[in-house]
Amino acid sequence: MPISPELAQRIAKRFLSPADQAWAEGIPIRDAGHGYDSFGMHPAFVATGLAAFKGFHSHYFRVKSYGTENIPATGRGILTGNHSGTIPIDGMMLWLDVLINAQRIPRPIADHFVPALPYIGVLFSRCGMVGGSRGNVRALLNAEELLMIFPEGVPGIGKPYKDRYQLQDWRVGHAELAIRHQAPVIPVAFIGAEEQMPQIARLDGLGKRLGLPYLPIPATPFPLPVRYHIHYGKPIDLAEDYSPEQADDPAVVREAALRVKAAVQELIRQGLQKRKGVFR
Amino acid sequence: MSLGGVLVTGATTPIGERLCRSLLADKSVDHVLAVGHHPPERAMPFAHGERLVYRQVDLSRSRAVHELLFGVARDLGVQVVMHLSMHRSLSAKGSRVHALNVEAVRSLIALSERHPTIRRLVFKSYAAVYQVQHNLPALITEDHPLNMAGGAPQWIRDRVEADLTACTRMGLADLDIMVLRCAEVLAPGTGSQLFDYLSTSVCFRPAGYDPILNLLSLSDVVHALELACKAAGTQGVVNIPGADSLPLSECIRHWGRKGVPLPDILLSPLYRMRRRLRGAEFSYGMNRRRFHYAAVPDGTRAAELLGFHPENPIDWPTDSHL
Repeated sequence: MPISPELAQRIAKRFLSPADQAWAEGIPIRDAGHGYDSFGMHPAFVATGLAAFKGFHSHYFRVKSYGTENIPATGRGILTGNHSGTIPIDGMMLWLDVLINAQRIPRPIADHFVPALPYIGVLFSRCGMVGGSRGNVRALLNAEELLMIFPEGVPGIGKPYKDRYQLQDWRVGHAELAIRHQAPVIPVAFIGAEEQMPQIARLDGLGKRLGLPYLPIPATPFPLPVRYHIHYGKPIDLAEDYSPEQADDPAVVREAALRVKAAVQELIRQGLQKRKGVFR
Repeated sequence: MSLGGVLVTGATTPIGERLCRSLLADKSVDHVLAVGHHPPERAMPFAHGERLVYRQVDLSRSRAVHELLFGVARDLGVQVVMHLSMHRSLSAKGSRVHALNVEAVRSLIALSERHPTIRRLVFKSYAAVYQVQHNLPALITEDHPLNMAGGAPQWIRDRVEADLTACTRMGLADLDIMVLRCAEVLAPGTGSQLFDYLSTSVCFRPAGYDPILNLLSLSDVVHALELACKAAGTQGVVNIPGADSLPLSECIRHWGRKGVPLPDILLSPLYRMRRRLRGAEFSYGMNRRRFHYAAVPDGTRAAELLGFHPENPIDWPTDSHL
């Protein structure tokens, strides 16, 4: 990393409010030695991430959150939402929103290519991101962490503007994990992200050569200052209906995933109804 | 409960020597049969009584292994074999090296299975047998894929083969077999690639990457081996992680070296040149993936089966200055 934890700490102190500083100093972490957890997260970098991007959350995208009481204060959980926007700013906004409103560090579960990206992979992992493998996720849930999973994955971010707010192919891994580890799923809907950076084309070949799934060609050179509305739904307790052994039953897992998808879709519908405009 | 005799191979290595001392301090061990490749006058340079018996044995020869086990080991009533012997140098190649690394494991197990006194065999394997890749878990459990890459150097291939040789014999006979996949021991004389890497004042690392490494101290590896030696009735594969999990850049800093990030493409030729000019052991090609992606052995099973928890961090040279 180009910056050391000490420098990260100084940056955080310089830019965070005294209340945020006090919180950042007490960030709970399962220290695997030298202040880092086994996945590379370090509290000083989380604090720096908060200091560096809080302005985007509060002033640029002017995020409005609804139902934050549905974020579990402790214990394992999976935040599952729609994914969009050409570049995954919705993930960053959710990370910040949970940090600010629930004082918990959510662990974003990223696609395989993200940890392999130079600099970005390191920076994200210092802030809590973890590569999306079964083993990593199992370890985090066993450690009672709160995960962020976007079941649409890259196709969600890369969908064309005309398909906005239409959920893409909904992967079922999150439901399987929730059943197996008896973790509640908290449906999340992002309203606004779909319009932040309309995509007009994508270069698949060039993107793959750069280690990315594709290279997006957006209509705007930078994200538009749309207003983000983040809606948290009531936790879906799959443990009430399914036993951990049923995580091996594909039909059960599909059914559970569809329940989550329907909850997200409904939150999106309600959110779009309430919204007064893309920038309001 | 008496452990009877314990046979320790690789007894002249830093880990083997420490293990012998530790076992000798334990009154439940009747005898320690230390085996190494040094002549007796140069081996075991510490005061010891009659409970330590040293033999110079070439483990790459199956006849020598047979004579050891059915000779002095039987006479001393050896019940546990602690197999630590493995060629440490990356540049050592060929059939003789393979015989020591792999065939010795095969012989030791086959002979121990029909031995009149041996009940248990502990094999010190390496976390280096695991595949490290960006799309694999960073926290490595015992069922993690192994590094079966065809282009891997013999150093890796032998370790994987020896590990699997021990695993395939588990549960097939009366012999309890335990394989300890130990994190890298950052100490001289242990064959540590990282130790050699850190021996220069400037350490080049791939720009844009700073993976989490897990390192084991000599005290902890010896403690884990001792626990495995005494865990009668248990067998299986167990990861042995260390108390130090830290990014590569921090590791360089704690060792008092200067880390210089360079484009990945330059590192292989640079370190190849270093190997040729200075006869160094570190190979960037072999470590390339672990210098990009995190790999931390998960010690949950070690805690459950052995009660092992890493407690002794590495004695970092710069700790006194921090």
